[in-house]
Amino acid sequence: MERIQPPVENYANPKTCFFHVLFKAAALAFYILSALFFNSFVIIFVVTVLLAALDFWVVKNVSGRILVGLRWWNEINEQGESVWKFECLDQESLARMNKKDSWLFWWTLYITAVAWIFLGIFSLIRFQADYLLVVGVCLSLSVANIVGFTKCRKDAKKQFQQFAAQTIATRFSSTLQSAFSVV
Amino acid sequence: MSHGDTIPLHSSAQSDIDEIENLINAAPVLPARPPSPPRASIPISSTPFVPSNIPPPSYAKPAPPAPPPVAPVLPPISSAGATGARMPGISGDGFGSPPNTLTEPVWDTVKRDLSRIVSNLKLVVFPNPYREDPGKALRDWDLWGPFFFIVFLGLTLSWSASVKKSEVFAVAFAVLAAGAIILTLNVLLLGGHIIFFQSLSLLGYCLFPLDVGALICLLKNNVILKIIVVSITLAWSSWAAYPFMSAAVGPRRKALALYPVFLMYISVGFLIIAID
Repeated sequence: MERIQPPVENYANPKTCFFHVLFKAAALAFYILSALFFNSFVIIFVVTVLLAALDFWVVKNVSGRILVGLRWWNEINEQGESVWKFECLDQESLARMNKKDSWLFWWTLYITAVAWIFLGIFSLIRFQADYLLVVGVCLSLSVANIVGFTKCRKDAKKQFQQFAAQTIATRFSSTLQSAFSVV
Repeated sequence: MSHGDTIPLHSSAQSDIDEIENLINAAPVLPARPPSPPRASIPISSTPFVPSNIPPPSYAKPAPPAPPPVAPVLPPISSAGATGARMPGISGDGFGSPPNTLTEPVWDTVKRDLSRIVSNLKLVVFPNPYREDPGKALRDWDLWGPFFFIVFLGLTLSWSASVKKSEVFAVAFAVLAAGAIILTLNVLLLGGHIIFFQSLSLLGYCLFPLDVGALICLLKNNVILKIIVVSITLAWSSWAAYPFMSAAVGPRRKALALYPVFLMYISVGFLIIAID
């Protein structure tokens, strides 16, 4: 167990973690095992894509907020332009987030994307274009979440740096001001 | 001797201090927000500490957020969400800041997304011809609706087909999805002003009348009835899509933008009629 070194505390939000993993695992498992039970491509497609879509929503709207305190979305502003918005908790709360939760969050995101890539390669090898469609949709959903949350995290770091710099600047100027007012 | 050349020490010190104070007051400039970007790029405008009241639209990629089946599953999460919201440090209403979408209970998110789907559907499918700005339709786009309508249409066609059901479904889904993307690209290449996902969302929602038509054709197998029903629903779909698409391009290119849309809906209509 030492090679991966997960953090020591317990999960702070076990139910959220469970649901975060549930839909991903269900989509992958259904896709892999369904070939044994169902003959119909339609059912496989609809159920897998539905589970992947549910997982996308859960990660984006629920577990992203609760496990790592990040959120991203797209808006169209008054001028009709598309704007990507990122939101995060303030720095103290972020530092207080449970490390195990966020470890689980990020690792399951990456592992799912890698798993879908492998399944895509398999279906390419077997020349099954319709299964490639399923894998393509699920993969694009996973990648969208990864990209969105990574951008959000980078943006949060940038904001913290700017905030810190601004705080230093205001403190410095107020010190100067108080120094001069004494004179 | 002391007329005007010698300035008393007292007032020069005062003017120096005034200068320095002016400099100090001018100095701390808030970090500038990145200016809103040109249409092609994706700007990053973030609001970390100021909670936003704007209901967040759904997502970035061609896929859907929350359908009703999630509802029974979610109440257990909502308690986790609520307890998560009470964690120390997360801004709450008690501190005077407006409610943060980061800390709202899960049920609120679900309700908001569901109501957005319904309002988008009403906006698109029952279009108001006297609406002042048709280009504003579906400002807060979402892709759940289109996902359901495309899948429903594929399922209906697949059910009606007596042979090759899975191929019918796959072809219907791929044609509709790829068709929507290509139509959007067509408008963009003609120099039109639309947002990619907004247009995808609109074209998907306009499939709703065809879904209804396909369902009716599934239930009743009479050819004449099928033709009538499909024509009516086809006209309804095109009428719903027309204002938005025509508002997006310049007047000389309207036909170029609208013709492929009609073509796609007509071919879907033929598919519904011809399937047996």
